[in-house]
Amino acid sequence: MEKILVVDGVTREFPGRIAVSDVSFEVLKGSIHGFLGPNGAGKSTTMRMIAGLMPVSSGKITLFGEEIKPENLSQKNKLGLLPENAPLYPDMKVDEYLEFVAKLHQIKDVKSKVNDVLEQLSLTEVRGRLIGNLSKGFKQRVGLAQAIVYDAPFLILDEPTNGLDPQSVVELRDFIKKLSATKTILFSSHVLSEVEQLCDHLTIIHHGKIRASGTIAEIHRKFRQGLVIKVGLGAGETLPDLSPLGRYEMTKHHALAQEEVFHIVFESEKDCRSDLSKFLIEKNLKLLTLQVEPPELEDIFLQMTETRK
Amino acid sequence: MIWTLFKKEVNSYFSSPLAYVLIGLFSLISGVMFFNLLVSYTDGIQALPQDYTQTVSFVEEVVLRLFANINFLFLVFIPLMTMKLLSEERRQETIDLYWMAPVKEWHVVVAKAASALMIVLAMLLMTGIFPLIIYGVGVRDFSLLGTAYLSVILNACAYISLGLFCSSLSNNQIISGLLSILGIMFLWMITWGGTLNSNYLVSEVFTYIGITSHFERVLKGLVGTQDMIYYATFILTFGFLSVKSLGRRNW
Repeated sequence: MEKILVVDGVTREFPGRIAVSDVSFEVLKGSIHGFLGPNGAGKSTTMRMIAGLMPVSSGKITLFGEEIKPENLSQKNKLGLLPENAPLYPDMKVDEYLEFVAKLHQIKDVKSKVNDVLEQLSLTEVRGRLIGNLSKGFKQRVGLAQAIVYDAPFLILDEPTNGLDPQSVVELRDFIKKLSATKTILFSSHVLSEVEQLCDHLTIIHHGKIRASGTIAEIHRKFRQGLVIKVGLGAGETLPDLSPLGRYEMTKHHALAQEEVFHIVFESEKDCRSDLSKFLIEKNLKLLTLQVEPPELEDIFLQMTETRK
Repeated sequence: MIWTLFKKEVNSYFSSPLAYVLIGLFSLISGVMFFNLLVSYTDGIQALPQDYTQTVSFVEEVVLRLFANINFLFLVFIPLMTMKLLSEERRQETIDLYWMAPVKEWHVVVAKAASALMIVLAMLLMTGIFPLIIYGVGVRDFSLLGTAYLSVILNACAYISLGLFCSSLSNNQIISGLLSILGIMFLWMITWGGTLNSNYLVSEVFTYIGITSHFERVLKGLVGTQDMIYYATFILTFGFLSVKSLGRRNW
């Protein structure tokens, strides 16, 4: 598949500190690429360098086969950016603002393009209102509208759902999913379940360094440690010592109405369900559930960002 | 591109109370000044014997003094206009909208300076009523009116250029505004320093660098090439510095 974005050994230094160090990853055409990392990991710095808003100290960023440089005007209409704080003028009306952005990008037929975008993002009802008077959800949508109003084929969305109510999050997520039919998207978020739902590829950054990059399945495969088995026993029953079956750790336990559910991680990845069921039945326990659980992205993320400090 | 940016800036001035407050306040203060100058002129004339009234020039006593006072008002009014032009855009990160588009730094500087000049012209338009009043009471001496307007417009351009540069230095518009006021005061003080210095060469250099001597010459109708070169150099230098300051993001 065609590589839209190639970040190759990029380092960004500020006086007295290195914000990102030797960062490399690729974004493939038509993908939604998740960019994960805790606060201060270097996500926004990397995204700003990709957007050409900040130069790299060393390394190279290539977008559509052309090296990104802040002064390179030919790439300006190919990339749309929604930063963490949407760049909005509170004293402008929504439609005026979008027309202004569209005119900055010198697109043709500004009015009809703005009307399209207003409709796509359900902003028509607030088009004549001052941006400063809008709710957070609407402001975020206006921010997204400015990123897509000039039809850039590559979008960078920096935590677009941050601070929105659940209804707005679902709507925005659906819209981003729809956008991916025609655009390539680099998407950062703190919500891991959101990244899992939306993205097909993922890059994890921590302390300015890339920890992992690839498809979500690849990352699961690569960083999976042990076999996670969900066991459901009868109400009030406790999990016996399973050490005869191998080294293990119980990671979660919750009680349902008539079932006690345990998540057990066996160090060996060998499927031991048959031995486990036999073992539990021999102990006269009511075995109600027994299934292998896929490792959660959250576990992988925490493992990378906590243990590798 | 410049036109798009300019229209946005002018709309931004008029969509907030700032432009109306500045224009209104300027009209009020300049109106009061004009009235006081007229009163003191007529009082002075009446106090003189009939034969000496011709020796007192209306233009010097009223017109030139009024425009010198308008220049003084610009010390506060222009920094108030320019202080937010770039600092606010940086603080709100809206300036990134320009760098994401095919906009160059000089487009932004020219558009913002032109929009501030528009507000200055709107202020000066309000003073257009003064010559009409004078004409209405029978005074026909308007000899230096054109150069008086030219002098304050040239000074305004210089102050805008300086103010825009100060606005590009900080994300805090109060700091930008204060820097701008200090900068203008410094320009005035250089001229005073020149007049007080006994060394001929130093005195000449200071007088040339300071803005006041050029302003006074243009105000009195003595428009010379050296004054025009001074203003052009001043405006272009600070315009260039603003462009370079905006380009800091590329460092």
